[in-house]
Amino acid sequence: MKQWFNSGKPWIWLTAGAVSVSLIAVIGLLMLIGARGLSFFWPAEIHQMEVRGTDGTVSTVIGEVYDTETVPMERLRESGVQLENYNEDTLERWLLKIGNREYVPLDFTWVLAPQVIKDETPADLAVLERSKDGNFYGYVVDVLENGNSVVNDADVRDVLQQRIDRVVELNEQASDLQDSEIGAINYALNNLRLERRSLELQGQLTSEEEARISAEEAQLRADYQVLEQQLFELREQASRDEVVMRDMRGVELTLPMYRMLAVHFPNDMGFFAKLGHFFVQIGKFVSDDPREANTEGGVFPAIFGTVFMVLLMSVIVTPFGVIAAIYLHEYAGKNAITRLIRIAVINLAGVPSIVYGVFGLGFFVYMVGGSLDQLFYPEALPSPTFGTPGVMWAAITLAILTLPVVIVSTEEGLSRIPSTLREGSLALGATKAETLWRIIIPMASPAIMTGLILAVARAAGEVAPLMLVGVVKSAPMLPVDGNFPYFHLDRKFMHLGFHIYDVGFQSPNVEAARPLVYATSFLLVTVIVGLNLTAIGVRNHLREKYRSLEH
Amino acid sequence: MISVTPTNQQTESLDLDNLTAAQTALEIRNLNLHYGDAQALHNISMAIPKNRVTAFIGPSGCGKSTLLRCINRMNDLVEICKVSGEILLHEKNIYDKDVDAAELRRRVGMVFQRPNPFPKSIYENVVYGMRLQGVNDRRTLDEVVERSLKGAALWDEVKDRLNASAFGLSGGQQQRLVIARAIAIEPEVLLLDEPTSALDPISTLTIEELITELKEQYTVVIVTHNMQQAARVSDQTAFMYMGKLIEYADTNTLFTTPTQKQTEDYITGRYG
Repeated sequence: MKQWFNSGKPWIWLTAGAVSVSLIAVIGLLMLIGARGLSFFWPAEIHQMEVRGTDGTVSTVIGEVYDTETVPMERLRESGVQLENYNEDTLERWLLKIGNREYVPLDFTWVLAPQVIKDETPADLAVLERSKDGNFYGYVVDVLENGNSVVNDADVRDVLQQRIDRVVELNEQASDLQDSEIGAINYALNNLRLERRSLELQGQLTSEEEARISAEEAQLRADYQVLEQQLFELREQASRDEVVMRDMRGVELTLPMYRMLAVHFPNDMGFFAKLGHFFVQIGKFVSDDPREANTEGGVFPAIFGTVFMVLLMSVIVTPFGVIAAIYLHEYAGKNAITRLIRIAVINLAGVPSIVYGVFGLGFFVYMVGGSLDQLFYPEALPSPTFGTPGVMWAAITLAILTLPVVIVSTEEGLSRIPSTLREGSLALGATKAETLWRIIIPMASPAIMTGLILAVARAAGEVAPLMLVGVVKSAPMLPVDGNFPYFHLDRKFMHLGFHIYDVGFQSPNVEAARPLVYATSFLLVTVIVGLNLTAIGVRNHLREKYRSLEH
Repeated sequence: MISVTPTNQQTESLDLDNLTAAQTALEIRNLNLHYGDAQALHNISMAIPKNRVTAFIGPSGCGKSTLLRCINRMNDLVEICKVSGEILLHEKNIYDKDVDAAELRRRVGMVFQRPNPFPKSIYENVVYGMRLQGVNDRRTLDEVVERSLKGAALWDEVKDRLNASAFGLSGGQQQRLVIARAIAIEPEVLLLDEPTSALDPISTLTIEELITELKEQYTVVIVTHNMQQAARVSDQTAFMYMGKLIEYADTNTLFTTPTQKQTEDYITGRYG
């Protein structure tokens, strides 16, 4: 035994064990959120169940099984549920998503397994995705155009699919029109308003200026009228068709077609059809805007906001941190004050992030932003331009938060460069600054990238400070668009981390939101890993280029 | 009794105590150097003749490298280092306030113990000093590269891969590249700090042959703890011990008839 200990094997086992535990934890985490999040996109079977209620009446329930739970009979009896001919201690119950939100009180319902008389999955059951009121489950009866049936002898599914494709196309045109052209006019009108106000404040609003601005406004309004007319026409065309559906109560309902996004018949799909649907759903999740208070639709603005904010932060923190590290390492005297500063910098990394959020709100948003508004945007006051949380302040706050990481790793990189190279450069008549620029900084660039990787990893996952300095539940516009000056750093933005919190804990529809929490978490991890892999790729390239001498 | 026989018989001997201005490359006068409280060099005075190879020998820690690094003010980088006395280059004290250290180092090149090529291509390594001086004309640089690499006896080995990384070269080639880099800016004096101590015997031989050629154009000062090397390549040799210059004479004289007991003990291998 003692020999075994002395051989060092227990030590190897211990270290290997630690690695294994970490690995299992990481893989387990990824698999959990991956499985839970991705299974949301897989088309679930739609069950049609006949359920005998406790009072003996039989009703039909149509929906997809969302969750399965085993509950003790005891608890059910206490809540007043009595089951005849059932004497087990526990029973299974299913959570069904029945959709049809506007026709039933709740779009989720529990079904007790023993009460189900018949459970089948008819191939004709359709799932309609709608832009409002969530999914609709039921049978397609008819498709109407201006109130008249257009199905005739054709397959009702094909007709429905055609008509849905048509409205999706029309809706897309309408939203394009609204976002780009009408949006641009609104933006221009707002700019004119600010211009007039600005001239007014400076006392230079002459009658010619006033006339010019008014003329431009009139022109824009006229353009607006034309576009609005086009928009109404598109909407008119979109509301031409209707679809008649039979729901689980057996009632035939006429639903407007313009709210439809897609239709599929999950019970009638083969594996490959389901796989295709799966990827289409993921694509929509990644590229669409959220709907219904973030509980449906995609998360594109949140992805964009996260990546944009992190990139902006990198652009701010890298030069700052590198320059600070160079001063500390190369120029500052090697004395107690420098050591004190270095310790202070390292300790900054330990300050809780919410503190940075409070600092960012107080200092950047209110003080700096408020002053900027008074100096440069007096015409917009009292509504603030930069004196309110926005993506720029969020990026700067996170830049400060991650500054210590960049400084520390850059300094480490600088001190790892062999002094022989430094001397070699100096001996050729280079000054210290020339040596820094030509030899030292290029060679330290892999270390700088390491700092940046750590900074990005920390910043992308940070939520708490962002809630104070710029993140919102729903941002109407992205921080980058087609209106000059294209980058709108004063705008608020959406963030995947905050989106998870919002959907998971602030949502009115908890059951509907749960899979979205997993899916968004998985996406956030993917985005961070993606950002990191990019940085690691760059670093490895640099390492290869500046590989140190092999002594 | 004497184990080392000088083989370098090509140059006539000079009277080292009374060199004319035209013969002198450098003159060191009453040089003292302190690292903090410890004195590393004691009152060194010597004249280094032009277009000759001067060797500093002595046991480890005797101050020979420190003295060499004084000549191009490399010791400036050490904060606790204090220098007093004079080193005259063209009758101008290089420690005067108005002398720019970077400018001085352009005129006094240095090659270090370990090859230290920059993480750049062979070509960029050689032209580094030229680029620092703002020379970016491709044709001029091409000429400099060819001349320097030929001067460092490396041209034939690397002419086909000038844009390859300098790290791909062998240790001996890297050291010759560093020499090429140093002579690319045409310094007056070339300081070699144990240039072959990290190299194999074949590379050492190549470098030694190169040093003999270099003295036609440059004044060479070499630090070595290999006495055979000093005997082979140098024209005059200074023996240092404990921070003091013990004896400075023609290499032939120093190795055959040393006047000081310590010198004799060292070159016969009794200590060091």
